[in-house]
Parts: sequence; C-alpha cells; structure tokens
Amino acid sequence: MSPGPSFSSRFLFADFVHLFLEALAICLVGAFFGVLLHHPLLWKVVSGQSFSQAVLPMEERHPGEVFLVPVAVEEVGAMAARGAVLVDARPRELYREEHIRGAVSLPLAKAGEEVAAFRKRFPVTVPVIVYCSGYGCRDSHELGARLIAAGYGEVLVYEGGFPEWRDQGLPLGRGDGP
Amino acid sequence: MKKGFLGTLVYHLCRLLAGGVFFFAGAVKGADVGAFAGEIANYRMLPYFFNYLAAAVLPMVELMAGTLLLFNRRVRAAALVVGGLNLVFIVALVSALLRGLDIGCGCFGPGDGGSSSLVEALLRDLGLMAAIFLIWRLRGDNPLSQ
Repeated sequence: MSPGPSFSSRFLFADFVHLFLEALAICLVGAFFGVLLHHPLLWKVVSGQSFSQAVLPMEERHPGEVFLVPVAVEEVGAMAARGAVLVDARPRELYREEHIRGAVSLPLAKAGEEVAAFRKRFPVTVPVIVYCSGYGCRDSHELGARLIAAGYGEVLVYEGGFPEWRDQGLPLGRGDGP
Repeated sequence: MKKGFLGTLVYHLCRLLAGGVFFFAGAVKGADVGAFAGEIANYRMLPYFFNYLAAAVLPMVELMAGTLLLFNRRVRAAALVVGGLNLVFIVALVSALLRGLDIGCGCFGPGDGGSSSLVEALLRDLGLMAAIFLIWRLRGDNPLSQ
C-alpha cells in the first residue's frame, strides 16, 4: 500500500495555499481601492481626454498664474504641418533614443541655458507645442511657462506626450536631429 | 525556528522598517498618481495605459501591506506581497541601469532623485529584501505561521 503524502506535507501545502490566497487578497483589495479612487484619471487616459484643467474660467484664475492650453494627439500633427514647433522637454538622452519626429530637444533641466538659443532659432510668433513623458508629467507645463515668460505667445501642451504618440504608432525620430 | 530576545528584537525592527518604508512610499506616491505614472513611464517597460493602472494600484497595495506589517497582522502574507513588489522594483532598476537610462528612481514619488539615485535605490531595495527575508524567517516558531 502506498503511504501517500504525509500529514505534515499536506499541512504544509494547505498552509502555503492559504498564505498565497491571503497575499492575493491584499493585492486585490489594494487594486480595487486604487482603481476606485483613481477611476476618473484612468478613464481620462483611456478616452484620451485632457485632465490638467489647464483652461479655467477667467474668474477662477489667480494673477500671475500661467495656464497652458492642452492639445490632443489628433491636433499635434496638423499643427506641426502648419508650422508649429514641437518641443521635447524630456532629458536629452531620452530624446536621442526616440522622440516625436520633427520635435526639437529643449530639456527642462537645461532650459535656463538653452531658451535664449531656442529663441534665436524660432521667432516668438511661432506656435509651440511642448511635450514630455505623458499625462502627469509636469516638465512640459514648466517648460511651457518658461517659454511664455521668454515671450512666446502661443504655447500649448501635448499631455499624452511621447508614450501616447509612440503607442499610437505615429512617426518617430532618433538621434540628435528632429 | 526558535528565537531569543535578539531574534525578537531583529524581527520587530525589520517589520517596522519594511512596514514604515512601504507605508510611506505608498502614501507619497498615492498623493500624486498622475506624476507617479510619469515616473513609471520613464522606465519604458509598460504599455501606455498600464503606467497609469500601475500608478493607481501600486500605492494602495503598498499602503495595505505596510499597514499590516506595522500592526503585526498577517505578517507573512504582507511580507510576501512587499517581497514580490520589491523584486519587481529591483528588476526595473537593474533594467534601467543596464539600458543606461538617465531617470529618477520614482521610489518615493516624483522628483526624488536624479540618475545616480538608481544605484542607491537598488542598494536600498536589496537591504529591504534582506529585512523581508528576516521577517519571514523570524515570524513565530512555526515557519509557516501567519
């Protein structure tokens, strides 16, 4: 007669299963509350809506605040074709690896040194679209504010940024040039 | 495994350390999920939407597991969860270092360090992994006790 699994080994297996189920329960409850709390954000990402609330009614604005107009992925290509300048606010190394085709690099960290050169290259009357690493990335907003301070009149933010552009299979560039 | 006074002390110190770190990390990341999603996107490991899903879910899981460790409840299950998360973070950090990415760690939310912090974060995560292993080993006489 085969002895079969011992009592202790069956106990160990049952205990491991119990432990695994408890750990799974922690993850599932956390995931449930995480999605529940942040479902508006997740929905906006899925549906491609802007969620910066960048354009507030005039009476809600505070003096000195800069509000950047968000631009959707569909409009970015059309605006660039009409002469708007696409600006990549991410670190230069990320730009070299891959960027939106036609974009120029102006990393936020180097904006202090490079905005003057950028201004010589592109007149302040040209519309500028700034992007970085997607929704929630603030570098594009900060760089946009600096460009407005440098005199640019039409500065927009592409909030979906590089990840959205890449994931939609739109044209990419590599290396130092646009 | 029998543990004396020293073992009990080490167990509680490791439990409070790991619980505190994960609770704090979860709270900081959960305060600005959009920005945290940007930090995850910098690692370029996940498709676009999943950066946001991970940013919404991870802080809550960290908060829950951290709380259980701090309150000494369901310690083995919580240690299993934070150990699994820690392993994922270590893989992400090693991958970022191997690819030479010049990014912040994002371990405690956005803007917590520059490129050099990846190595520091990796060392910290390896230390945390050791603490989690000790919690697992020192939790009660029965190695499988809850």
